[in-house]
Amino acid sequence: METLFAELAKSLVSGLIMGMVFALVALGLTVIFGVMDVVNFAHGEFLMIGMYTTLLTSPILKVDPLVTLPLAGLVGAALGVMCYYGLVRFLLRGPMVAQLLGTFGLMLTLRNLALLFLGSEPQIVHEGLLVGKSYVFGPGIVLESTKLAAALLSIVSFAVVWWLIRRTKLGMALTATSLDAEGARYMGISTERMNATAWAIGGASVSIAGGLLVNFWPVDPNVGLLFTMIAFATVALGGFGSIRGAFYAGVIIGLIVYFPPAWDALSNFGGLDWPSIHSFKYTFVYLIYFLIMVFRPQGLFGWKQ
Amino acid sequence: MPLLEVKHVSKEFGGLVANNDVSFVLNEREVMGLIGPNGAGKTTLFNCIAGHFPVTRGQIVFDGQDVTALKAFEVSRRGLARTFQIFQASGDLKVRENVMVGAFMHNPSRSKARAKAEATLEFLGIADAGDHLMTELPVAQQKRVALATALATDPKLLLLDEVAAGLNRSEIEDMVALIKQINTDKGVAVLLTEHMLEMVMVLSHRVIVLESGRLIADGEPEAVVKDPEVIRAYLGDHIVSDEEAAHA
Amino acid sequence: MEAIKNALDFSDFPRLDLSLAGAVFAFLLLFPALPHSSFAMATMIQFLMFSLYGMGWNTIGGYAGQVDLGKAQYNGIGAYTTAVMMVRWDVPFWVSMPVGMALAVGWSFLIGYPLFRLKGHYFSIATIATSLVLKDLFEVWDFVGAATGLQIPIRSKLPDFLYLQFRHDYYYYYILLALFVVGILYLNAFRHSRLGFQLRAIKDNEDVAKSLGIDAHWCKIKAYAVATAFVAVVGSFHACYNFNIEPEDVMSLDLSVLIAMMALLGGAGSLWGPIIGAAILVPLKSYMGDWLGAASGLEGLNLIIYGGIIMLIAAVQPRGVWGMVEAVRARRRGGYAAS
Repeated sequence: METLFAELAKSLVSGLIMGMVFALVALGLTVIFGVMDVVNFAHGEFLMIGMYTTLLTSPILKVDPLVTLPLAGLVGAALGVMCYYGLVRFLLRGPMVAQLLGTFGLMLTLRNLALLFLGSEPQIVHEGLLVGKSYVFGPGIVLESTKLAAALLSIVSFAVVWWLIRRTKLGMALTATSLDAEGARYMGISTERMNATAWAIGGASVSIAGGLLVNFWPVDPNVGLLFTMIAFATVALGGFGSIRGAFYAGVIIGLIVYFPPAWDALSNFGGLDWPSIHSFKYTFVYLIYFLIMVFRPQGLFGWKQ
Repeated sequence: MPLLEVKHVSKEFGGLVANNDVSFVLNEREVMGLIGPNGAGKTTLFNCIAGHFPVTRGQIVFDGQDVTALKAFEVSRRGLARTFQIFQASGDLKVRENVMVGAFMHNPSRSKARAKAEATLEFLGIADAGDHLMTELPVAQQKRVALATALATDPKLLLLDEVAAGLNRSEIEDMVALIKQINTDKGVAVLLTEHMLEMVMVLSHRVIVLESGRLIADGEPEAVVKDPEVIRAYLGDHIVSDEEAAHA
Repeated sequence: MEAIKNALDFSDFPRLDLSLAGAVFAFLLLFPALPHSSFAMATMIQFLMFSLYGMGWNTIGGYAGQVDLGKAQYNGIGAYTTAVMMVRWDVPFWVSMPVGMALAVGWSFLIGYPLFRLKGHYFSIATIATSLVLKDLFEVWDFVGAATGLQIPIRSKLPDFLYLQFRHDYYYYYILLALFVVGILYLNAFRHSRLGFQLRAIKDNEDVAKSLGIDAHWCKIKAYAVATAFVAVVGSFHACYNFNIEPEDVMSLDLSVLIAMMALLGGAGSLWGPIIGAAILVPLKSYMGDWLGAASGLEGLNLIIYGGIIMLIAAVQPRGVWGMVEAVRARRRGGYAAS
């Protein structure tokens, strides 16, 4: 009984932790969508670049990987702004197809730039203050400190972005643009600048998520797609454009995907032994997207229909 | 013979009441004007009748059949065609192809649909525009194409939503003549909303007035514009030319 | 009867287009007789395959304007049906191909019904999601060989027309070329058909289309089924041509995206668009892969250039190469002067 409880608690904690990171991954996507109704298919590639930024700069600067997070954020923001002015601005003039095509092209380019310069080998952070350390909470609950730090810093980053959007002048201008771009323009708010800001915020937050993730998740050039899909599912669940929704939905998806006892129970369902049910955990992410979009397109917390 | 019967129709969006207990009857071959100030719920009523919105309460009978629960494509197949206030053409279809889409409704074969489209374009006096893209035409011609497309479905009733918007004086006169022609030559009944009161007065056999979602008048054009309630509701707080005010 | 007349009616194209098309067709017909490397032959086969994929995609993605990014799942259904039936029950290609097509179309109806309640991006992402779900299932399904896939046994006597196994690639080439011609004729009839017109009207403005008696939801599902049939047939062929199939190969997202990219690049919603797209991207991809691929130590460079081209097209002319041609022609024709 005690081991079952410990097992459950452990799963709950790991689900929550991944959920926080997922929320931060989805945040960037939902901010960009909220402000300009553009879906960025290269979102996961921004995450990948954040991961590599932390991975590569921490040994060079001889600092802990966590210290490089602001740098990852900066790189992500710069990349976001570059993508907006260099590409997305032009895509907006065309039909929706142009956005799909364009951000897919971006995805291919970023992914293969990483392949060309960094190789296809999966890499992970080996040295750091927290790497390899863990805390023991009660019987059986062992928590890797890297994951704990990732969860906490995700919440902090999420809170900073939330504050930025809800409590600052810049954020209000962003919100005004997302509600009524033309109206905001009459009030002297430049749509161009707001769009670029959304891309900066989106790029920065997902890159920081990458910097956190690389502490315990190996990075390779193809890591992005899975996270793009997770971000889509999260944003769909939370409601496209909803920031609060992205947070709750991230946690829900984290719990669903990282709840091993549930998967074990499913595997042994009806006395059958389905050895591979674990590998279905992401399949459920795709299913969630599909089901939510069909049956509740506004998401659980959506305000944009 | 009644063609369209709207019985106690209400439409609510969330808490907002757009149409409130609207009832009227439109007869075969009749031209009816639907007027009312901005936001009175005219376009909403159109969308309810044509099946684009489900009604909240009430019943709509068209050509002897209850069409209340039918979807837009089912309603239109029964002989109710419409034009849209904001007509956006992305420009993929040529004018003739556009009209053919309408003609295909009752002609599955391409050659017949094509012949029908040509005849309809001819009837509306834009036969020479067939090979052009919608986006290449001036507004007045685009409106004619939209009218032709709707007409190619051989409707019994035509709903025209602000068909004169964006047209100049002489174009409006042409449009009035065209609608008269459609009504008399083809025997199509017409329900139109229009900002241009003058046009409604010239065309309509009967006029109904919506205000804040409610129907406040139903009768001959001359009688309706003399109705004190209509004057107060519509003309009173609207910009009215001196001439019209004196006339009323 | 009229369908046949429509299939052969190319009269709305200028003579220049038709002579070009004729010249290209003559080249395709004679290609195996010309001196060529086996790499060139393989590239031509890829070109024909992707033309067919693109033609199919064009019905739903081009004419109806619903950007489908999940076509790989139907490729997988076609390929797996043929492979499973050959490996397990020794059924010839010409039987398994229609079965695979029917299964794929059946599946497309099943998921098409909920799928087409979605629009725009939401639809596109959902098609990706459904395709990935099916791929994940195939990766653990032992009956179809799970992640390692299936290997079709080589026949004892070659060439074998029943099982589509040949020693020389030109057999495959001509079979594909025949399918290619059938595909073009079918699509020519399709674009002249009532459904073709209805789909274009839906793409133009769905509300207007509905007011013209068009059941938009059902029309999209039908077009989706047509697209699926094309892709499933090529999938069946792919199984025989490659001998060896696995989920990562026949059902990957990359394949879905590639299909859409080629049609969009060439010009979605036009008869020649997908063929033009395949003619540009397939050789580009395979030759760049050859020159700049793993061997040269510049792995990824080819796809960077590829991605760059896609971005450029999206930013400059999202209606693709054919869109540029049409824009030039419209300008030459001049505007409309009201009489």
